[in-house]
Amino acid sequence: MPAMDTPHHDPAAPRARGDNLPDAASPASPPAPPVPPPAAPPVDPLKVYGRGDTAVRALDGLSADIPAQRFTAIMGPSGSGKSTLMHCLAGLEPLTSGEAWIGEVALGDLNDQQLTILRRDRIGFVFQAYNLLPTLTAHENITLPLALVGDDPDPAWYDTVVEVVGLADRLDHRPSELSGGQQQRVAVARALVSRPDVIFADEPTGNLDSRSGAEVLGFLRRAVDDFGQTVVMVTHDPIAAGYADEVLFLADGRLVDRLADPDAEKVLDRMKHLEA
Amino acid sequence: MLRIALSSTWQHRRRLFGTILAVVLGTGFLVGTLVLSDTMRASFRSVFTDVNAGLDVIVRGENLTAGGSGPAQRALVDASLVEEIGQVDGVAAVAPEVEALAQVVGADGEAIGGNGPPTLGVNWVDDPDLAAYALTEGRSPQAAGEVAIDVDTAETGELEVGDTTTVRTPAPTEVEIVGLLAAKGGGSAGVTITAFTLEQAQSLLLGSDDQVSRILVASDGASEQDLADRVAGILPERTEAVTGTAYTEELLDDLGRDFLDFFEAFLLVFAAIALLVATFSIYNTFSITVAQRLRESALMRALGASRRQVLVSVLVEALLTGLVAAVVGLGVGIVLAFGLLQLLGGFGLPVDNATIAIGTRAVVSAVAVGVGVTVLASLLPAWRASRVAPLAALRDVAVDSSDQSRIRLALGLVLVAVGGMFITFALLSEDGALVRAGIGAVGVALGVFLLGPVTARPLTSLVAGPVQRLRGVTGALARRNAVRNPRRTASTSSALMVGVGIVTLFTVVAGSIRATIDDAVEGSFGADLMIQAGGFSGAGLSPDLVDEVAALPEVERAVGLGLGRGLVDGEPSVFSVVDPAALVEVLDLELVEGSLELSDTGIAVSQSQQEEGIGLGDTVELALADGTVLDLEVEAVFVSQAADAVGTLLVPIETYRPYAVQFSYVSTMVDLADGIPLDAGQAAVETVTRVNGDPDVLDRDAFADRAVGDVDQLLAIVYGLLALAIVIALMGITNTLSLSVHERTREIGLLRALGQTRSQLRAMVRWESVIVALFGTATGLVLGTFLGWVFVRAIAIDQGFGVFGAPIGQLALVVALGALVGVVAALRPARRAARLDVLTAIATE
Repeated sequence: MPAMDTPHHDPAAPRARGDNLPDAASPASPPAPPVPPPAAPPVDPLKVYGRGDTAVRALDGLSADIPAQRFTAIMGPSGSGKSTLMHCLAGLEPLTSGEAWIGEVALGDLNDQQLTILRRDRIGFVFQAYNLLPTLTAHENITLPLALVGDDPDPAWYDTVVEVVGLADRLDHRPSELSGGQQQRVAVARALVSRPDVIFADEPTGNLDSRSGAEVLGFLRRAVDDFGQTVVMVTHDPIAAGYADEVLFLADGRLVDRLADPDAEKVLDRMKHLEA
Repeated sequence: MLRIALSSTWQHRRRLFGTILAVVLGTGFLVGTLVLSDTMRASFRSVFTDVNAGLDVIVRGENLTAGGSGPAQRALVDASLVEEIGQVDGVAAVAPEVEALAQVVGADGEAIGGNGPPTLGVNWVDDPDLAAYALTEGRSPQAAGEVAIDVDTAETGELEVGDTTTVRTPAPTEVEIVGLLAAKGGGSAGVTITAFTLEQAQSLLLGSDDQVSRILVASDGASEQDLADRVAGILPERTEAVTGTAYTEELLDDLGRDFLDFFEAFLLVFAAIALLVATFSIYNTFSITVAQRLRESALMRALGASRRQVLVSVLVEALLTGLVAAVVGLGVGIVLAFGLLQLLGGFGLPVDNATIAIGTRAVVSAVAVGVGVTVLASLLPAWRASRVAPLAALRDVAVDSSDQSRIRLALGLVLVAVGGMFITFALLSEDGALVRAGIGAVGVALGVFLLGPVTARPLTSLVAGPVQRLRGVTGALARRNAVRNPRRTASTSSALMVGVGIVTLFTVVAGSIRATIDDAVEGSFGADLMIQAGGFSGAGLSPDLVDEVAALPEVERAVGLGLGRGLVDGEPSVFSVVDPAALVEVLDLELVEGSLELSDTGIAVSQSQQEEGIGLGDTVELALADGTVLDLEVEAVFVSQAADAVGTLLVPIETYRPYAVQFSYVSTMVDLADGIPLDAGQAAVETVTRVNGDPDVLDRDAFADRAVGDVDQLLAIVYGLLALAIVIALMGITNTLSLSVHERTREIGLLRALGQTRSQLRAMVRWESVIVALFGTATGLVLGTFLGWVFVRAIAIDQGFGVFGAPIGQLALVVALGALVGVVAALRPARRAARLDVLTAIATE
């Protein structure tokens, strides 16, 4: 079971630190499902790019929380802020104002070193491309986050992960000797092997053909269903979003809609509706 | 197309910075050397011209050893000629001149000067036009025991007019300073001058009342050449008249040959090494930038650019880079020369009021070398860029082309094999070993360089093994990065390989010289103590000193060893002048045949002379400076090893001394009486030496240390000069790393996203750098040690002596230095890598 040590966090509850941020639960945001507790609830985040008149708000007072042990997709047109949201949640990018939490940890309180360690210990990543280090074998890539701490992987868990993603006979290969789909499976295995609190996937199927894409999505799905992982995926592909438990729709840096138990058709339908 | 090349150069100016810096340092060194020696030549010329301004003709003995090496050997001139020359038509003034060595002892008892420029003892010349100096204070010497000394010497020795002090000629002479003089034309160039009266100069310095060193003549208006011809008409045989202009040129030539040319060549060697290392650096930078722009080049080809245009665009970039670097290097060199001149001025060289001489030679060579080196180094990368297929623009070009060229591999192996064969033959041969070994060394070095990409992977892995074990995943990543592009790793480290190789070579050769000296001292230091005249050109040991030491109750015997010059069977030679009977008492000469109880006409030679064709019973013709020709017979042959101590040819002092001017010993071997402890004996000997100019009294260890100390001092200078090459190699590694970091931006972003801390990232870059540096260091160390061994062996074969001795401690330091180079080289790239913003890095295309 991934580490969910103190899973409950109520963004609306008063905080001992006594910060003076605006009320966390913005009335405009749709109510969050009460159970399971949120994995990464950003509160009133605001990101401003550029300066002066040309300032574009990538996230504009967006407030959302994401439940643990669920597969959540974030969708929206280009520039809607979906990537920024994910980067803020993953501690890759600071919020200009507001807060982002992973479990009980407020990311805004952490310095670069602490954020790095948080990413290493509690977050898994699957990017669209350039997921693997070209100089390392598949096995070394999978165990890299653990190696960075100096830990050895739990052998049983490692075997399970490798078996699930079907890489047992490819472990000694370097990325250049693997197909795009195999490379993404290595990335998924890497994200799973350290049993993070949450896995962030940024367009994980963007560079794959539909069959390989389906495989990768299947693994992410299994990570939630079989291993109780929390997965947050940014995508613009309705089919990919159909694998999720819930879809958050973003537009102009705001959360505009949520869709539970989506399938590709429903997602497409909702997108058309939003764009109209 | 030119515009594209220009704008591309401008865009890449940051990447080219390292290249420019390497060329700037190399050409700066070159220009600095040339400007420095040009300026020194110019200022010496101006000094000599000023000094000899009033001098139109010089009368002196003919050069006995003309055509040979070493200083000219001239006979003295009869003083009576002065009057005869005075009668010659067109002579306005004439003066005799005595010139020999004399060293002034300062107020603190230390002898002044003698560390290069000569310490001259002369007579006072009254005629202000003919004199090389002018009085600045006091009066000229009028009586025996009165001297005028130059102002610089007076200042150094804290002496004033009215003081009494000692002058070593080499016998100590009490004198009163009655005047101070200054050389015409300003600076005395470190030369010390002591002017006596003519009579005292003759008796003290020449040991003759009716002879002088030369005669100075001033013209009343006739041309120098006419006057010289007329004067020559009345001169006896073996005496010549030369014009003042020719004399000045001759002095400059001598100075050039003895000092400036050597000085310049010495520095130029190191400028060349720095430039060679810079070439590797530039080649590497261009290789990488070209590789990184492969897609750009392919796009240009796809859009219709010809191969030639792509080639030219890279070469234009190189040309511009080289030009900028050459111009900056020129400026740096001039500043460097100026700084060094100030420094040398502090050592008494006549540069205080010298204007910097920037000859065309310096400017042309700066531009030619700066541009030439850069363009040459970029030729291969440019050619490679021009070979890229237009289609590559559409494909994802793999930057990492780790397949090694078979031609390169074959060529490298052939060179190593041929070089190895030359070396093997050299070491098996009887003579000519050094030349063959030299050819072999070049072959092996080039071969090893060519094989770099092949050896890089296994050797780097070997070097990196401990790093990986020590530093876990960071070490592993560093190792993988270091070996991912063997060609790049090889060419990056080859600059350091050359630098470290040369450092190692010098270290090993110096270590071997040290071992050889130890060996030689072991065999040749037969006595208990050695008295040695200090300095290079200072006066030697007075024969009186030797007699005084020998008379001490603590001393059993003291044997002086002097040097003589003359023509041996027509060849200019330097030989030892000793009392052979006394010598055998302190030194076992290991006689091969004959007897050392030499007759009046007997000499002794070493076995090596015998091999040259001078054997027992042969008659040798010895021509001395004053024209005397002696027929001497070889009466003894001793083993070659003894020649370390006494040279290859011994002439008895009784035979040589009557013909020598101002004879002095170079060293004196002292045997203590039985039962006298070494330190007591040394103290006794020092009571004599202290009042005789204080030459060094050395026991065996001190003697060896002294000999070794000279080697160490030279080695320190060589290290200092090689530091530049190492710095350039370091910058090459920095540059490559920066480019690699730039190339791997995405990868670094990924690592950071996955949780690599900044310090882990810095460590990764640092260790990669250390691994590359250690690879270069290891290759250079092995190559340098091997070639050092080969050279020492080859010298042993050619010269018959030489012991190989690799100083392990110093070589270990070289390895540590290599690792340090890696750490320092990584500072900037590691910092830059750590500063990369994770998100931007991930998003970079």
